[in-house]
Amino acid sequence: MKLAYINNQPFEIDAGETILSFVRRHKGKNLVPTLCDSPDLEPFGSCRICSVEVASEENGTVSTLASCHTPVNEDQYIYPNSESIKKLRKNIMELVLTDHPLSCLTCEVNGNCELQTVAAQVGIREVRYPEGENHLDKKKDLSHPYMISDLSGCIHCFRCVRVCDEVQGQFVLSMAGRGFDTYIVKGNDQSFLDSDCVSCGACSQTCPTAAISDVFQSKAINASKKTRTICTYCGVGCNLEVSSSNGEILSIQAPYDAEVNQGHACVKGRFAFTFYNHSDRLNSPLIKRNGEFEKVSWEEAYDFIAARLSASITEFGPDSIAGISSSRCTNEENYLMQKFIRTVIGTNNIDGCARVCHSPTALGMQQTFGTGAATNSINDLEDTNCILVIGANPTAAHPVTGAKLKQFAMKSGNASIVIDPRRTELAKYATYHLALRPGTNVAVLNMMMYYIISEGLIDKAFIEKRTEGFETFMSEIVNMDMDTMEEVSGVDRHLVREAAIAYASAPNAMSFHGLGVTEHSQGTFTVIQIADLALLTGNIGRRGVGVNPLRGQNNVQGSADMGVQPHQGAGYLDITDDEVSMKFNEFYGVEVPKGIGYKIPEMFGAALEGKLKALWIIGEDVVQTDPNSQKVIKALEAIDLVVVQELFITETAKYADVVLPGASFLEKSGTFTNGERRVQAVHQVVNPIDGAKADGQIIVEMMNKMGYDQPDYTAEGVLREISQIVPFFGGITWDNLGKNGKQWPVAKDGTDTQILHQTEFPRGKGYFEFHSWQESEEIVSHGEAYPYILTTNRELEHYNCGAMTRRTSNELLLPGDYLMIHPEDAEENLIRDGDYVCLESPRGKVDIKAQVTDQVNKGILSTTFHFPEIMVNNITSDVHDSEAMCPEYKVVAVRIRKSKGKFKQMGQR
Amino acid sequence: MSNNLSDLSSRKGLDDSLFSRLGKLAQPTGTPGIDDLEKLADEFLVGKANTYGTTTFYDFLKPGNKGKKVYACNGTACTCSGTQDKVIQELKEHFTEDEIGHMTCLGRCHENSAFQYEGKNYSGTRIADLQEIIENKNGLNRDTYVIHSNGEEILTKPFTTIDSYYAPFREALKKDSSLLLEEIKKSALRGRGGAGFPTGLKLEYCRHTENETKFIICNADEGDPGAYSDRYLMEQRPHSILFGMLISGYITHANYGVIYIRAEYPEAVLIVQKAIDELHAEGMLGNNTNGSGFNFDIKVIEAKGSYLCGEETALIHSIEGQRPEVRVRPPYPAQQGLFNKPTVVINVETLSALHHITEHGGKSWKAIGTDLSSGTKLVSLDSFFNNPGIYEVEMGIHLSVIVNDLGGGFSTGVKAMQIGGPLGGLVPVSKIDDLTMDFESFSQHGFVLGHASIICIPEDFPMMKFIEHLFDFAACESCGKCFPCRLGTKRGHELSVKALSSEYKINKDLFNDLLDTLEKGSLCAHGGGIPIPVRNALEYFESELKPYFT
Repeated sequence: MKLAYINNQPFEIDAGETILSFVRRHKGKNLVPTLCDSPDLEPFGSCRICSVEVASEENGTVSTLASCHTPVNEDQYIYPNSESIKKLRKNIMELVLTDHPLSCLTCEVNGNCELQTVAAQVGIREVRYPEGENHLDKKKDLSHPYMISDLSGCIHCFRCVRVCDEVQGQFVLSMAGRGFDTYIVKGNDQSFLDSDCVSCGACSQTCPTAAISDVFQSKAINASKKTRTICTYCGVGCNLEVSSSNGEILSIQAPYDAEVNQGHACVKGRFAFTFYNHSDRLNSPLIKRNGEFEKVSWEEAYDFIAARLSASITEFGPDSIAGISSSRCTNEENYLMQKFIRTVIGTNNIDGCARVCHSPTALGMQQTFGTGAATNSINDLEDTNCILVIGANPTAAHPVTGAKLKQFAMKSGNASIVIDPRRTELAKYATYHLALRPGTNVAVLNMMMYYIISEGLIDKAFIEKRTEGFETFMSEIVNMDMDTMEEVSGVDRHLVREAAIAYASAPNAMSFHGLGVTEHSQGTFTVIQIADLALLTGNIGRRGVGVNPLRGQNNVQGSADMGVQPHQGAGYLDITDDEVSMKFNEFYGVEVPKGIGYKIPEMFGAALEGKLKALWIIGEDVVQTDPNSQKVIKALEAIDLVVVQELFITETAKYADVVLPGASFLEKSGTFTNGERRVQAVHQVVNPIDGAKADGQIIVEMMNKMGYDQPDYTAEGVLREISQIVPFFGGITWDNLGKNGKQWPVAKDGTDTQILHQTEFPRGKGYFEFHSWQESEEIVSHGEAYPYILTTNRELEHYNCGAMTRRTSNELLLPGDYLMIHPEDAEENLIRDGDYVCLESPRGKVDIKAQVTDQVNKGILSTTFHFPEIMVNNITSDVHDSEAMCPEYKVVAVRIRKSKGKFKQMGQR
Repeated sequence: MSNNLSDLSSRKGLDDSLFSRLGKLAQPTGTPGIDDLEKLADEFLVGKANTYGTTTFYDFLKPGNKGKKVYACNGTACTCSGTQDKVIQELKEHFTEDEIGHMTCLGRCHENSAFQYEGKNYSGTRIADLQEIIENKNGLNRDTYVIHSNGEEILTKPFTTIDSYYAPFREALKKDSSLLLEEIKKSALRGRGGAGFPTGLKLEYCRHTENETKFIICNADEGDPGAYSDRYLMEQRPHSILFGMLISGYITHANYGVIYIRAEYPEAVLIVQKAIDELHAEGMLGNNTNGSGFNFDIKVIEAKGSYLCGEETALIHSIEGQRPEVRVRPPYPAQQGLFNKPTVVINVETLSALHHITEHGGKSWKAIGTDLSSGTKLVSLDSFFNNPGIYEVEMGIHLSVIVNDLGGGFSTGVKAMQIGGPLGGLVPVSKIDDLTMDFESFSQHGFVLGHASIICIPEDFPMMKFIEHLFDFAACESCGKCFPCRLGTKRGHELSVKALSSEYKINKDLFNDLLDTLEKGSLCAHGGGIPIPVRNALEYFESELKPYFT
């Protein structure tokens, strides 16, 4: 045991710790004040307030050292609060106050200002210096919808500069000038709005004063309540601390002790919450009569729905009804929805948004490993040497994970491979960017495996011990024709070879994939290949490796876990299996159906064929976000009863017969499961707005109305029920989730699992399965007449259909969809930046504003579908993944021309 | 300051460094254009704030440098000599006020009246030839001064030929480099940049840090006003520096050398580059020197005007194109330096000493000087001496010998000398007989040997004005990172200006608190060092300063 002394008393030291950490660990936070120190940042040593005296013997000659960056040594004598240290701190603070406005009473952080706290701690009573030069006349920057700066209050601690660099990796902030004249700049001395700021808000949170803050005044102390909960946006699952007062939400910050996000958040999670009480919120059930929605009571709505559903069951059988549950809702709500459809209606026609995003991931990984979920955790990035990011743009779609991946990619010595048709933010920093033609993932991944095998970089021992099917697989791979693969993919084989070598020779390599993998006709096959890559190189079953799908919606992992799938019940149990069926019958107390139900696209097909009579949709805007919108609309129109449970009148809700007002994540409790299988507690912050109800409660009331006895919705109650039927939830209770949740499978004793497949796979051995590349049917049929390939992407500021984000100030940051087009394509078609372009596919046309950029290759176009004004899905195709029926949003054959008529007029603005 | 920026900068390495690119962009007008800075940021994958932030730091990159055509020296020696008002007056005959900038010490302290025009330094009587200088821009402008050794010529030994001068290096390549390191450790050579850290240990730390890539940086940012001994070595003995870098590279297993030369020494940049080219031509640089398997190359980087870049972590950041703010230690540069790789930063004069040690062994060097301060030292004397120039002296020599015998005494009345740069001590003439030229003697008497440059403060130069000058320099050159230095040097300057220009009297307690705060609280020796000469002044010139204090 190594010791050092604080005021001559011995204490144990931890290897590698600083004096500051040593003193604070043993003596609490207050003995040594700090200003430039922050839990998520590297020691910096600018404020010097943390100085202490250090001697090599008891009461020996001291030297003054800044404790935040000085390692503690054995047998050191530390005097953290000697008289001369107190005086030094006071003197430094006095200097600070010569250049700081003393307008505390009117300052937004009054009472929660670190400078104020430290000034009080050191006991400063006067400033003896005559008035000198200062920065008190610095102007406020109010340009941005969220970020505010008032640099007259800046104390030059660099925390904002450092967090923008060390955490977000955006480099928007820096000091400019020198000496006393240094000052914070955004970009080249621009406003927040004009700068490259991505509005993550990290600088606002870390600033110890009000020099950088936000429009919600998130550091003000006017909150009466702080609630820890989980973000509603992407599958990263950031912890949020929500401040509220009198039932009104004031602001959101990110807790530093959150394992998922360590004090970080993004523009959506931190700032885009004001949709929750937007005037557009639905506040009453609605029934459409004569083409118009009429407000009705809950009772009337329930009676209306129950009567129609019962009639449909009687007349056409339970399979004439289907449900689409919502990955925005809690596990408990998803569980109840599938239970309602299966037990009360009596059909397996239940599906969720995973169908249109990661269904191929679940299927492909189940086939290879036996479990359709991420094998590792995001924090494994600390232990990896190589990342392979395929078909994902995490800095926009999963910003907090994206920032971590960007941090990884920036570091020398780390290998990063990005396979993506677009030059994404991450691709710019990557060691290798394989900019393939959309629709050729299978070709490129097969090429990688070809080179890994031909270079002799396979992990023979792992393959032998833990896998099967390798011989057949290898014989197919080695016989592939690299000339053809290179030609179809458009990626130089040497580059593929180098990337393959980097992945295979890294001690630990980790893959991440997104919808650029799954939303293809060969989506499931691509997932299988990614899993095969891990098997081939033994990158599975330990820290820093694995296959890690970046799940899109906050609870898309959870909705599938809960049985929102037509072929598997809660806990992925096979509904066609007799034993499972008996178990469900017994547990639910009614007989559940055994036939596999409709997947979402099949629901629309059945509707058009007249077989589907009723459809209940929770929180999913299928009209705007499913492909081939006009077909979806026709399908909804063909259904007798469409029930939509929503926050807003979405494009889909417009086609509903009954609309039920649900509740946002801020208005209810439950659990969300993030992309790393982490089940985390969602805590209600405020009551649902008047007229709305927690979605789970709506389902419960409907179940009761239709004769099934289900207790009222509580997170704790439903979770208890889930833990009894879902095997990997066995050890989860509402109370043991704590702040950071648990990663399933969770054993009965509460032990959770960070890494899957450490010793064996659920299916026994990992299964190699070869699939050759095939051109998408979309290109085969239409490629000639429609020579451009349109692919779809996401923007940081908006979330999916945008129903929530468009009702926040994010709309000001990004007011519309736009089309990325290569400069040469633009020139050939006489299109200038800002012109409207008419995109035409075999399904229809849309007009969209052009952004000329080399982020896409020639012949490739890319856009988003966040805005109903554009409805890009009017032109996306019906082609689906051959296995999981996930739509191929990523390959759409189109032709382009400059828009005519009103769109031409709208251009160039 | 930022590990990420170091890594991103390392992607382009030294051949296309961000810092050099900024320098090139500044050439046409004196400062890079905003559009160019944005493009550069995109190319290097850094933020616009980074290229802008770096640009605004340096005297010769910042927007305020736009349109500057000529620079008058405002270093301590020129200031104390009182020549610069006239220089500026002359310059104004040919240039507008906006076209005249300042440079802090051109190293012409032996004759003053210094200015820089079109990348050349002029001094002494040359201001009278301004018309001719403007019309005829060709040729290097070399100055002359006394160069003398009072013992064996080591650092000042005349250069012979590359072949014979590098013979000890070729011999060394045949031996295990650990033997060479032992010789350096035996020599007890201490760094000549000011801190006096044992050179052998520094090399050993770096040698023992495992990495494929390591760097040797020669700190030729001789920013201390009054010092021109490094300039002498670069201009007249460039091979002694290159030799030292090769040896250091061989010992530490480094393959890259960088010489970071201050912009105020344009002649040195050209001369050192020429010497590097000569070495290339002789096959002494590049891959596989003399078939030994040792690879080493050296690149010159021209600084852009910041005193603080002489601090080693700031210097490293400067080369990377970051703002040259001082970094905390650990990690030390030997662990994580340039581009986050193990790096040794060594001063020019220290490197120059390695030739003698390599050729004659560590004992030979150790035999010279005192026990704790071994070898010889270059001392530069300014124009107040009768014989200004560069003197090579044995460590431990009496200061009086330097002042009276070598320097020939003062030409006019002098009341004190600042020895060792602006952070060095202020030695009153009454202390001349008490001091010997070594680290220990100076520190025992409350001074600092530093770089051992000597500049004189004439009797008629008010001490309060000298304090004001010191604080002005300190505030102007503070990097702005740590609170005590950024705020303290500024407030110190304001207090002294106020006391000089009004009836205001400085509160002595406050002033002492300020000096204490700077000394104990500052992150580096810049803020930490400035109280030393100020305290010396307060002690030795108490009565002169009394009217300014409460």
